[in-house]
Amino acid sequence: MLRRNLGVAAMLANRVARAVCSPARDAMKLLPSRPLRLPRLRTYVPGPADPKIFWFNSERDDIVHEVVRRIMERYQGDEDVELILNDAAYNEIRRHEARTDEGARGRLDYWRSIVRRLARMSSEGKHETLRECATKMAFDVAGNFDPRVYKFAAKAVPGLLTAVMNPSNMLRNILDGGARLDELVSAQGPLDKLRALQRKGTLVLVPTHCSNLDSLAIAWVLLREGLSPVVYGAGKNLFSNPIISFFMHNLGAYRVDRRVKASLYKDVLKSYSSVMIERGYHSLFFPGGTRSRSGAIERRLKLGLAGTGVEAFARNHSRGIKRPVYFVPATINYALVLEAETLIDDHLKEAGRHRYIIEDDEFSRVERWISFFSRFRALESACVIRFGEPRDPFCNRVDDEGNSLAPGGRVIDPATYVMRRGQPVVDAARDAAYTRELGQAIAADYSSETVIMPTQLTAHVVFRRLVRATAGLDLFARLRHRGDIAVPIDELAAEIGQSRDRLLEVEGRGGVHVDALLRRESPERILERCLATWDGYHLRSVARVVSGSVIAEDPNLLLYYSNRMRGFASEVAGEAPADRAAARDIASMELRA
Amino acid sequence: MNRVAVIGGGGFGQALAMAAARVGRNVTLWSRSARQPSGKGIESTTQLADVAGVELVFVAVPSPHVAEITRELGLVLDGSHALVHVSRGLVGDELSTLTEVLRTVTPCRRVGVLAGPLVATALAKGEPAGGIVGSLFPEVVDSVREAIAGPALRIYSTQDVVGVEIASAMVGLLALGLGYAQARGFGPSTTAVLATRGMAEAARVGVACGASERTFSGLAGFGDLIAAVAGDSRPETLFGRALAEGMPLSQAAARAGAYVEGATIAAQVAAFAERNGFEAPISTGMAALLSGKASPDAVLAQLMSRPTRGE
Repeated sequence: MLRRNLGVAAMLANRVARAVCSPARDAMKLLPSRPLRLPRLRTYVPGPADPKIFWFNSERDDIVHEVVRRIMERYQGDEDVELILNDAAYNEIRRHEARTDEGARGRLDYWRSIVRRLARMSSEGKHETLRECATKMAFDVAGNFDPRVYKFAAKAVPGLLTAVMNPSNMLRNILDGGARLDELVSAQGPLDKLRALQRKGTLVLVPTHCSNLDSLAIAWVLLREGLSPVVYGAGKNLFSNPIISFFMHNLGAYRVDRRVKASLYKDVLKSYSSVMIERGYHSLFFPGGTRSRSGAIERRLKLGLAGTGVEAFARNHSRGIKRPVYFVPATINYALVLEAETLIDDHLKEAGRHRYIIEDDEFSRVERWISFFSRFRALESACVIRFGEPRDPFCNRVDDEGNSLAPGGRVIDPATYVMRRGQPVVDAARDAAYTRELGQAIAADYSSETVIMPTQLTAHVVFRRLVRATAGLDLFARLRHRGDIAVPIDELAAEIGQSRDRLLEVEGRGGVHVDALLRRESPERILERCLATWDGYHLRSVARVVSGSVIAEDPNLLLYYSNRMRGFASEVAGEAPADRAAARDIASMELRA
Repeated sequence: MNRVAVIGGGGFGQALAMAAARVGRNVTLWSRSARQPSGKGIESTTQLADVAGVELVFVAVPSPHVAEITRELGLVLDGSHALVHVSRGLVGDELSTLTEVLRTVTPCRRVGVLAGPLVATALAKGEPAGGIVGSLFPEVVDSVREAIAGPALRIYSTQDVVGVEIASAMVGLLALGLGYAQARGFGPSTTAVLATRGMAEAARVGVACGASERTFSGLAGFGDLIAAVAGDSRPETLFGRALAEGMPLSQAAARAGAYVEGATIAAQVAAFAERNGFEAPISTGMAALLSGKASPDAVLAQLMSRPTRGE
């Protein structure tokens, strides 16, 4: 068994390497876009100890039908149906017209024929067409869960991931089964409580999002910490890599195609995630939507699909099902971000919103992965995932037993929040309001649950120097000062030390968390290790040492890493007026970017 | 809905209770000390626990007491209650609004604010009037309408809660300034410039707090301010007049007959504006005036000598 796993692992690693290196990348496009599934030889019967997700395949058709039923319930009048179908057709035709491949023509013909026929269709025909479209969309969204893939992944992925990280010791790493990965990716927060709550209710994980590695890192941490696997919406662009697609598709991910703008599709997605949460599938959403382009902690959350957790709670209660829903904020903190250069450039071009599906970033280049992971030796931890205190859908904290707590610690019944005149009711406008408030509460949690990594503080101190030296200029003028700012090493180290101490005070007040190495090491060592970590990883040099001074080489990347500190700029700035002014400038960048 | 509660037996609290009783609601009116029932359908109490059975609770106590009283009130409420405050106050240098306080110290999430040109005397008499409810929750708006709206009172609504709260607070401050200016003998032109530029300043503060500028030209902003200019003899205006006549703060407060939030808001807004890097000359001037750091003439000279720009 072990040998077979090894063989498969090595083959997969090879294929990743080949598929991602550039000439072979074109070949990838020839592969079927529909993810592969393993043939089903016999039906897997889940055991009582298996997590809920093991039941997914047997419930999938039910789930899809329930989604379609809700769509039909929502659009009852002929006019509504016509409107939603026209909207879908208009958006889909526009999207497919821009494509040139064979598949697009078929889809184009399909939607055009709907538009042509729609005006003459009978009421019944319209509803039937809507049902057909919704069913198609719902099946496209619905995932798959293959226990065999899960079990394989649980055994092989840690070793495989570690092997990718450190290819010189591939064999040993695979045999170690990921011992090194444990060191690289650490988990913090109320893990015992989460393990208890996942048996009492449905968890909705809402982590920060800054890298495509996020979903892999969190999936691995959940597995390692004895937390149930989660279902999550993965951008369809991630499914373009056949290996990742294979795992995502067979591990319960559902496909979210962000290029589809039709309202009907959004309704299908929302109903789908609501039904999943209602049925007790632990779920994960990145409420920031896309990866944070600026590197800053997400401040304004609309929650999007995660908001369906509120609806799911209300719907369950109105049917007498008293299963609680717990929102669990989490921050994913990297010392190095794989895609940093592309992300910050995108942010500065202000193209971010339009280009949110980036298919050609560092994530798809395997050589960058290798140097990415090999850099962490100097810093001990590559990634810290910190879970925050869970909340009920109405922002209340919950105790270890999962009871909602009012301010002051009194246990209250969360069902009262969906009551109107004594009856639990489903009310979309009300739930939208709850969702907005929950978004604010989770954004505040993000800030206080952030773990500041050494690279972020160091970048912040260097960037503050740059801002100080360029007082009065706007951000873009400042960023043009490439390699202009030099700070003597000992001066910089002293400033890192002071800022670190002030950051520790913020931590003492519960405002943030500080990475272990940053807390423990001398400022000189921190600076040295950060420079070593950056050096040679990013294609552009971030900062380098020339005759006893650190030169700020790449203001964009410094800004990127520094942005994680933006909310704490005033609190860690020194007493000097120039320092304070620089910190104010940095903090106010928030309003504009 | 048959029963609503009003927390706070001051002038505005009583007027609200009367407005609700007029449209046929049973009202529980809580105040710290026992008082005679003020009308048919109004029951007085000093026990917060007595309001647990209602659906909608109006909070009409001065902002410094809101946190303390609602924390205690929160012990008998749950997620099903709607809490609506009527205060013109803001808390602390970050200008926290009172709906934030309500959400933090009570388990209630369905919160809102009632504002606009509603003055205690007019509300009590039942003159044709209108107000605005700011709440994210349509249910809260419905509850307020059911509780007090009627042939003599129109209740509009908005989701810009922060906007309504900031507008209401800033109008309180401006009304104080207007009373002051009028008592010093300035005419309609001065009043108009102070009111208009004051509202522009209010909108700047609001936008910095995430409000929509539009809210300031509605009932919560200009609507409320016009009532003050038209001389609705609200406590803020009386307070400003008393100060202009040279009364010390405590005496002026006694003349106003109600707690005047505007007296402290000027300094809060001035500090907030400075920290956030925008100009708030009227608030800053009034803060200096109210703290005795500058004479009225100096403040006036300072305001009039500022460089003028496009509006």
